[in-house]
Amino acid sequence: MSETTITADAVQEQSFIAKAKEFVFTIPVNKVSIKDLVDFEKTPRNNFIAVLTLAFIAMFVVGVAIYLSQGHHAYNVTREHPWGLLIAVYIFFVVSSTGLCIVGSLGDVFGFKDYELIAKRAIFGSIVTILAGFAVIAFEIGHPVTMMIYNVLSPGLTSAIWWMGTLYGIYLTFMIIEFVFLLKNDMKMAKIFGLSGLLVGLAAHSNLGSVFGFLNARPISNGVFYPTYFILTAFITGIFIAFIIMGIRYKNVFPEAVKTMLTGLAKIQALLISILIFFVTWKMLTDIYGGMPNRADVALHILGSWTFWAEVILAMVIPLIVILKDFGKSHVLLVWVSLAGMVGIFFMRYNLVHDTQLKPLQMMKIREYQLAPEWIHYFPSATEIMISLGGVGLCIAMYYVGTKVFNLDADH
Amino acid sequence: MQVEVSRRRFLQGSVAMSVVGGASVGVTNLLAGHGEEKGELSVTTKTGTSKATEVATLCEMCVNKCAALARVEDGIVTKLNPNPLFPKSKNMLCPRGNAGIQALYDPDRLKSPMIRVGEKGEGKFKKVSWAEAYDAILNGTDKFPGMGKILEEEQDNRSSFLFCAGEGMAEHTFKTFYSAFGSSNWLNHASLCLQTVVSGYGVTLGGYPESDLENAEYIIMAGANRAEAIVTPDTMDIFKRTKGRGAKLICIDPRFTNTAAKADKWLAINPGTDLAFVLALTFVVIKEELYNKEYVAKHVNGFDKYKINILDNNYTPEWAEKITGIQAKDIYQIARDFMAHAPKAIYYPGRRSTFSNNDFQLRRAMAIFQGLSGGIDTKGGLVFGSKLKLDPHEGLEPIYERAKARAVNKVERTKGQVGYSDCAVVSGGGSWVGWRNRYLENKMPYKVRGMFIYKHNPMMNMPNSAKTAQMFKRMDLVVAIDTMPSDSVMYADVVLPECHYLERTDPVKTFGGIEPSIAQRNKVLEPMFDTKPVIEIMGGLTQKISKPLFDISKKYDADIRDELANLNGKTAKEREAEVYEEFNLHKPFEHSQEYINQQMVQGTYGKDAVKSLRDNGVFYPDMDKYFKKLSGNEHQYYPEKHKSYTVNGGRAKTNTNKVECYLPNLTKKGVDSMPMWHEQYLFTVPEGKFRLLTGRHAQFTQSGTANNIMLRDLMHENYIWINRRVAKKRNIEFGDMIEVSSKVGKTTLRAYPTEKIGPNTVFFVHGFGEESEALTWAYKNGGNDNAVIEDIIEPVYGASSMHETNVEIRKV
Amino acid sequence: MARYGMALDYKNCINCKACEVACKEENGVLLGADKHRIWVGANDVDGEWPLLDIVSATFMPSQCQHCDDAPCQSVCPTNATYYDENSVVRVDPDKCILCSYCMNACPYDARYVDDRTMTVDKCNFCSDTRVARGETTTACQNTCPTKVRTFGDLDDPESEISELLRTREHFSLKAHLGTKPKLYYLT
Ligand SMILES: Nc1nc2c(c(=O)[nH]1)N[C@H]1C(S)=C(S)[C@@H](COP(=O)(O)OP(=O)(O)OC[C@H]3O[C@@H](n4cnc5c(=O)[nH]c(N)nc54)[C@H](O)[C@@H]3O)O[C@H]1N2
Ligand SMILES: Nc1nc2c(c(=O)[nH]1)N[C@H]1C(S)=C(S)[C@@H](COP(=O)(O)OP(=O)(O)OC[C@H]3O[C@@H](n4cnc5c(=O)[nH]c(N)nc54)[C@H](O)[C@@H]3O)O[C@H]1N2
Ligand code: SF4
Ligand code: SF4
Ligand code: SF4
Ligand code: SF4
Ligand code: SF4
Ligand SMILES: [Mo]
Repeated sequence: MSETTITADAVQEQSFIAKAKEFVFTIPVNKVSIKDLVDFEKTPRNNFIAVLTLAFIAMFVVGVAIYLSQGHHAYNVTREHPWGLLIAVYIFFVVSSTGLCIVGSLGDVFGFKDYELIAKRAIFGSIVTILAGFAVIAFEIGHPVTMMIYNVLSPGLTSAIWWMGTLYGIYLTFMIIEFVFLLKNDMKMAKIFGLSGLLVGLAAHSNLGSVFGFLNARPISNGVFYPTYFILTAFITGIFIAFIIMGIRYKNVFPEAVKTMLTGLAKIQALLISILIFFVTWKMLTDIYGGMPNRADVALHILGSWTFWAEVILAMVIPLIVILKDFGKSHVLLVWVSLAGMVGIFFMRYNLVHDTQLKPLQMMKIREYQLAPEWIHYFPSATEIMISLGGVGLCIAMYYVGTKVFNLDADH
Repeated sequence: MQVEVSRRRFLQGSVAMSVVGGASVGVTNLLAGHGEEKGELSVTTKTGTSKATEVATLCEMCVNKCAALARVEDGIVTKLNPNPLFPKSKNMLCPRGNAGIQALYDPDRLKSPMIRVGEKGEGKFKKVSWAEAYDAILNGTDKFPGMGKILEEEQDNRSSFLFCAGEGMAEHTFKTFYSAFGSSNWLNHASLCLQTVVSGYGVTLGGYPESDLENAEYIIMAGANRAEAIVTPDTMDIFKRTKGRGAKLICIDPRFTNTAAKADKWLAINPGTDLAFVLALTFVVIKEELYNKEYVAKHVNGFDKYKINILDNNYTPEWAEKITGIQAKDIYQIARDFMAHAPKAIYYPGRRSTFSNNDFQLRRAMAIFQGLSGGIDTKGGLVFGSKLKLDPHEGLEPIYERAKARAVNKVERTKGQVGYSDCAVVSGGGSWVGWRNRYLENKMPYKVRGMFIYKHNPMMNMPNSAKTAQMFKRMDLVVAIDTMPSDSVMYADVVLPECHYLERTDPVKTFGGIEPSIAQRNKVLEPMFDTKPVIEIMGGLTQKISKPLFDISKKYDADIRDELANLNGKTAKEREAEVYEEFNLHKPFEHSQEYINQQMVQGTYGKDAVKSLRDNGVFYPDMDKYFKKLSGNEHQYYPEKHKSYTVNGGRAKTNTNKVECYLPNLTKKGVDSMPMWHEQYLFTVPEGKFRLLTGRHAQFTQSGTANNIMLRDLMHENYIWINRRVAKKRNIEFGDMIEVSSKVGKTTLRAYPTEKIGPNTVFFVHGFGEESEALTWAYKNGGNDNAVIEDIIEPVYGASSMHETNVEIRKV
Repeated sequence: MARYGMALDYKNCINCKACEVACKEENGVLLGADKHRIWVGANDVDGEWPLLDIVSATFMPSQCQHCDDAPCQSVCPTNATYYDENSVVRVDPDKCILCSYCMNACPYDARYVDDRTMTVDKCNFCSDTRVARGETTTACQNTCPTKVRTFGDLDDPESEISELLRTREHFSLKAHLGTKPKLYYLT
């Protein structure tokens, strides 16, 4: 194209760019300086969280440095247990993201008025959590740059991971756009992108479930269970986080509108958890009943592990009891229960990843002096733990910055 | 893409070594979980697709000498492939053969001559040049006396030096040095290995036969473990045919071995009681008249006496059941089946036979049993095979007047006969343990003060290592020729590093059998480091010592003085030169190995044979006509009608051409003339103790491979087998550290509770638990059996009875 | 082009592990016990001494099955795992992102991480070494003392392997998973 002849296309293009610029510059943001960032109420609890967050981020940096110098050697993943803590933490974050997206959608997509006041926070939270998830997985995938190149050049269309990754990419884009429209109070556009984001997110999410569901090498996770289970548990996770977010926002002193919303969420949570308990019970029963090798024995083994019971008690039993006690009116208690619930959810993810790999695929001895393989053992390395906690740190930090930069309260 | 550490770089000096050595501490361990696997470098090199040369060579990782083709790319051996041309190894290389590359590139290899600077056995050496090393051997240092001084003091008694060697292609070269040097003290692996089986079959059948496992239909393998103790071509021949494909295999072993896993029947026998088992088989065969009557009548000597011996002593299966633990009904069955399949039935002779005190008679009984079936020198039975002859080459065997006879404690037996005090028969090799113990007990008729070791590891290879250490410490001068800093090398005064077998051409060798051939190891690479083949080492050393030692002989040897005095019209100088020629130690080493090999082959087989050996590594007449590739996995070496199944008309090869049941001469030496059972052969273990067995593993060769990083990946260390139920009672779990102790010493290793061994027996693989710190991987890895095995010797040939030791075990 | 497969006369196997070493040396596979393309499995023998169950003590030599319907291939997000022109399942290290999904998905534990390239590696029927040089046996077949393996073209009715599969009974591992292995165990 020569300089003198400017085509109509080009003119249009230029005006598009100008519009886009304008669109971006009109996103309402607060001007914050570093000083503003460190300006928070210096209560012991806040101080503690701040220090912890910084420590986690520091761990992230150290973990990543070790990873960069030693590669996968820095992890305790093995031939028999190729997926470790980082995969679990990644799932933890993306499930959280999907859950927050669902919670956020209640108000701005589905129009349940009670829930509008959490929409922005939830949507922002879903962006933050998935970014944290990506930050963690970037250091689990051996070659993230290669991934970006060949995901496009030679896409593996039969691969659940490819779909999951691609869909999450689109999802993130949609969520960001939705968030921007929310900030701009353009509820119509927010709804369009919110709905698209939600649908893509759910698709991505059930694909994540199918990453496990497709493993016909692993009878314990093979089948339709995980794709559906993932959506259910995402919703539960979203509600747990909603409680936590609101608890922080209002320092556990909730205005009436918030109380109404929280009670509503708690009731939904009770329903979801009940369904989940049925899900898990029947999964366990069908796994064990019939005694299919590599499924029944693994299920029994899972029943005997404390991490499974941590998941059940923290994420299912306690929340359910507390909610049912007074139909979701003990909001403050529920904030704490949700915190514990998230720990339970973490174990849920960890168990999912670990349990899938519990059973060796090679059951014979391949060296002269060894015990016949029974169960595959795995415990994360310090590096894996550091990067994982780093993910949490990043998540808190990003959210905190978000609360400063954006107005996350509903514009009432 | 490939970030391989090249072998060459890998071998460059100590930096790389330390990476391999102990890099697993520090940050890595703290932050990751793989523990010790970390820090190990890749030392494998992917083979390429471009230019490469292939050199035909022979494996030296064990006794078998399988034919290999070494692939060389850019000066690096990237792969050892089996050479299909060799009938003995039939296109295979075992795991050790494949891992020969790792021995070549082992960073712990001896890299230059060294002389001792620390205390004896301490392992402190200084690197020196070859000239300095030779000089130290001749003249000594401030730490040790040289040969000159010793021979001077011993007044030219050449027998004041002991020579010992392990089996190897170039053992011959070293033996040439021994002969020229004029000592009469020679020891090798025989009395620790196959002495009794070779002599038992030797006196009974006239030779140690091969087994035609390719055609046998029924095989008893007792006390041999061909699936793990690999012997070619036996291992290949048999296991293609077992498991219902033509050969029935009965495995008799106190342990459930991999051979047992491939057998039709495995019978656990009480250690040391095989003789009772064979006698009972013989009883059934005689009683039921199942033996080959025609063959026995024509080709067996002394059968009537043997028959009476068997029947009168009532060696019934019921009798044997109590002794062996094998049920009488099984013995009946096996005896009948064996004879039903004869002559295509084999009682496999075995190889290592240093088991128990009755071993010689056991092998005799086995050979006679085979004789009764008629399965001798015939297809499907025990065969002698034929051998392609090689032309002799020049050696030197001067007689030194002052050289004393073999250092044996002479006992007058019958007129004119002398023997060891501790065994009945003096054999070629002699008893290692007997010799060592007499030396320590000061029972030598004269002083032995120095020793040369070639490719042999006495510290690890014979029972009671503590005594071996004592022997080494007492020797004034120990010269070791090895490739690795072995436990024995640690006791040396002068260390002469031989190059690796891929770096040298070795003496051409003829391999007899049903399909005989000649094979040659060709040099693949120039020696790395300051190392040499033994022929060049001997060449250099003899050049240095020959004249000075002759000068000593001149002083003490009256014969030499007489010869020199007898001028016969020559000048003294001329005369001296002439006499010296007879004593010139250097003479056998004047020519290169390549030249000598050519001399040994060309005369009989022509130039093409020489070329074939160089290019193909293998030669036999009509090879070009006979050799055919039949499929990806099979080759024909000889057409059926040219195979040497029968070479002696189906007869034994003894002087009488008959199987010898009855040897009255033996009684003169206090040995039974016929195999019979004695009470003291009973297997008994005191309460709370265990009988210790030892043996092979498919991935290791005795003490020589424990430092091989590739093989170590396959089996990290040896474990002690303990019966699972017994272990449970004693609270011993898999991997627990166990201290094994006997009267002579102790060792520690990990426990392997298993049902594969009986309640009063334990076993562990031989060759582990090295004490030499210079062996990065082998050092203190696993347990050393010879630290606990007692030095009991078998009374006929003085072989070591390795399975007569009871041990205690204790969890530590 | 060819469709390579391998028949294993597995009852001949004496568990010597020559094949494992040959593979490592030929293909420059890393040292380390878990870095293997090929292995031989053994069971602890059943029964109590001295009445042991010989039949329970079989050795199972194995490696990548080169599944015709390979889970490792269908789960690979970048098609780094692919079928080459000879139907051999291979990994292109340039495309592999080390997501490890294939390691999880392979029902045979045939895959491991090559620490040098930090990508996944596995048996490739010596495609880039021996077969690329025109040799007709793999390193593991060639070195085996009892000649357990026969490698060859399943599409060629004249090949030794085709002949074996026509005349000898055989089975494949975990056949119920529908992976259609091209490793055949002769009985
Ligand atoms: N307890 C017990 N003892 C035993 C046995 C047993 O089963 N149990 N087995 C016995 C038997 S059957 C035998 S044959 C003997 C074997 O006993 P040895 O003859 O001592 O053989 P290795 O133990 O293999 O030690 C061989 C030595 O040669 C060195 N070497 C290897 N290659 C070369 C080379 O090319 N050149 C030189 N110069 N040196 C080299 C090695 O480094 C090693 O130090 O052991 C016997 N001892
Ligand atoms: N892989 C490998 N192969 C080798 C060697 C090696 O080091 N490694 N070394 C080579 C050499 S030098 C030799 S001499 C041969 C040795 O070859 P073999 O003699 O076949 O092997 P070993 O393992 O020494 O012993 C044989 C078996 O005898 C059993 N046994 C012990 N006591 C008794 C008994 O009283 N009665 C019976 N019936 N069985 C008993 C042991 O449990 C063992 O399984 O192997 C050769 N091949
Ligand atoms: S049996 Fe193995 S170690 Fe022995 S010579 Fe043959 S290939 Fe080498
Ligand atoms: S080389 Fe052959 S016999 Fe040895 S372990 Fe491998 S398959 Fe089995
Ligand atoms: S065996 Fe495993 S690695 Fe090999 S093709 Fe099948 S699924 Fe893929
Ligand atoms: S690890 Fe590599 S080969 Fe395996 S699925 Fe991921 S990208 Fe494909
Ligand atoms: S076919 Fe080649 S790559 Fe595959 S296991 Fe055998 S030697 Fe290794
Ligand atoms: Mo031996």
